[in-house]
Amino acid sequence: MAAAMGTGYRAGLVDLAKGQVSREIFVNDAIYAEEQERLFARAWLFVGHESQIPNPGDFFVSGMGEESVILCRDRANEIHVFLNSCRHRGMKVCRYDEGNTPVFTCPYHGWSYGTDGKLVGVPYFREAYHSQLDRGQWGLVEVAQLCNYKGAIFATWDAAAPSFSEYLGDFARYLDLTLETWEGGESGVEVLGGVQKWLIPCNWKFPAENFCGDSYHNISHRSVDLAGIGPSGSGRRDMREREMARRLQVSFYERGHQTGVYVLPQGQPTPPAYADSPVVSEYFAHCEQQRRRKYGEWGRVIGSPGELFPNTALHPRQPRTIAVWHPRGAHQTECWRWYFVDKAAPQQVKDFLRDYYIRYSGPAGMTEQDDMENWNYAHAASRGVIARRYPYTYEQGQGFEVADYEYQGLRVPGTVMDITEAKSSEHNLRNLYRRWAEFMEADSWDELATWRRADPGLVQAAE
Amino acid sequence: MSELVNTRELTPGMQIVLVDGAVAEVVSNPLDGVWVFARYLSSPADPSVVGSEEMIFAQDISEIRTVD
Repeated sequence: MAAAMGTGYRAGLVDLAKGQVSREIFVNDAIYAEEQERLFARAWLFVGHESQIPNPGDFFVSGMGEESVILCRDRANEIHVFLNSCRHRGMKVCRYDEGNTPVFTCPYHGWSYGTDGKLVGVPYFREAYHSQLDRGQWGLVEVAQLCNYKGAIFATWDAAAPSFSEYLGDFARYLDLTLETWEGGESGVEVLGGVQKWLIPCNWKFPAENFCGDSYHNISHRSVDLAGIGPSGSGRRDMREREMARRLQVSFYERGHQTGVYVLPQGQPTPPAYADSPVVSEYFAHCEQQRRRKYGEWGRVIGSPGELFPNTALHPRQPRTIAVWHPRGAHQTECWRWYFVDKAAPQQVKDFLRDYYIRYSGPAGMTEQDDMENWNYAHAASRGVIARRYPYTYEQGQGFEVADYEYQGLRVPGTVMDITEAKSSEHNLRNLYRRWAEFMEADSWDELATWRRADPGLVQAAE
Repeated sequence: MSELVNTRELTPGMQIVLVDGAVAEVVSNPLDGVWVFARYLSSPADPSVVGSEEMIFAQDISEIRTVD
């Protein structure tokens, strides 16, 4: 890959040898247009959660890149993701956010589709089409691949893409920190309340980069820390693990996923949290005990923000949420945020978490407001012809990565940067742009699925 | 000329007269303002459809039939 050698996408736009990224990739309309084809039309994207569509006929209108899509459950209980566009003239066939329906009817000329995507209603089929339209060929466009991963629905438009499991690789262990129940039981998680949606005037990669594990910007949240919105009455969240754990940034070079984590010392119990509510505090203390029992040494790992390539942000704990950064032109992003809670959690816990989550995240959340202000003005101040000439630097911590990181008997998957003493690094951010450049350059998954070269079994399975 | 039928007001059990003279009974209504699911009770133009259930296009509905 040219990017890996340091020349980068289009000769220097992403220059990993220097640790520099051109502002053009954030503000250039032509690059944005190319991203839609080379990145969003090929990568696996988060669409929604099965708990949003529990019954046959349930639907939730979501997005994949710029496309509006319908996540729905058909009468036979099968989950689908369809392009929300009538095959006749392209009108949206569903203009509600969510609901239950037997059919999706286009209001333009009246074509109607079942929840399995089949074209079931064509006005004047006998008279105007003389019964000759092949309705079987004109159903809703369905994604090429769909995966229900622990309740989370991911999809891709690319039939040639690797399976979701292969796309994830060992990063699955980190994704599980968000998607599995807190105590590791089988009762599952559910979306808490509705999905928050809002627009911000910046390129989608600003929030994506931020959630890769950019801890360098903590200074901008100092006012929230001072306000003490956290669930124990101080700071913005419970952070006692910082005092005792190794603080790591973890990247998956070949796949583009990355996250932060804390790893507690052997024998160190997870610090108490949620002191503002004895019920919630006790609940999580119990969950932590169960989690340790189930996962053993892996239970020492505490999640921190991460990013599933390209635009799915993970926030496994306090708040527990997934965000998707939908591209809406080079200069605008539509943010969607889902909040999660264990289905079996007591109602009092759910209520407490809901209040805390929206106090922290989303358009009215105090922490996310800080972030948005930064992204907004960083983007605006990077658009001018002069500003574009000057790249951003991502060289922080370059060369200090460790391939086989182990801490007190626990091997941590991925390439790791231990920032316990360093406080910060741009290791994970470089990984986002490394993978971004590879997607922008590669013409096929033969080039993108580099991990297959080391594992011929995967090549065989893919064929 | 009969009054334009608002399909959103059709409920299961109501009978509708179609522009070709057929009569059908509403089975369900997706409330999309475009279609209703109905079972043919009579169809002078095509008797073979009697008893079958079809999606009826709103523009094909001529009037609501009052059932005694």
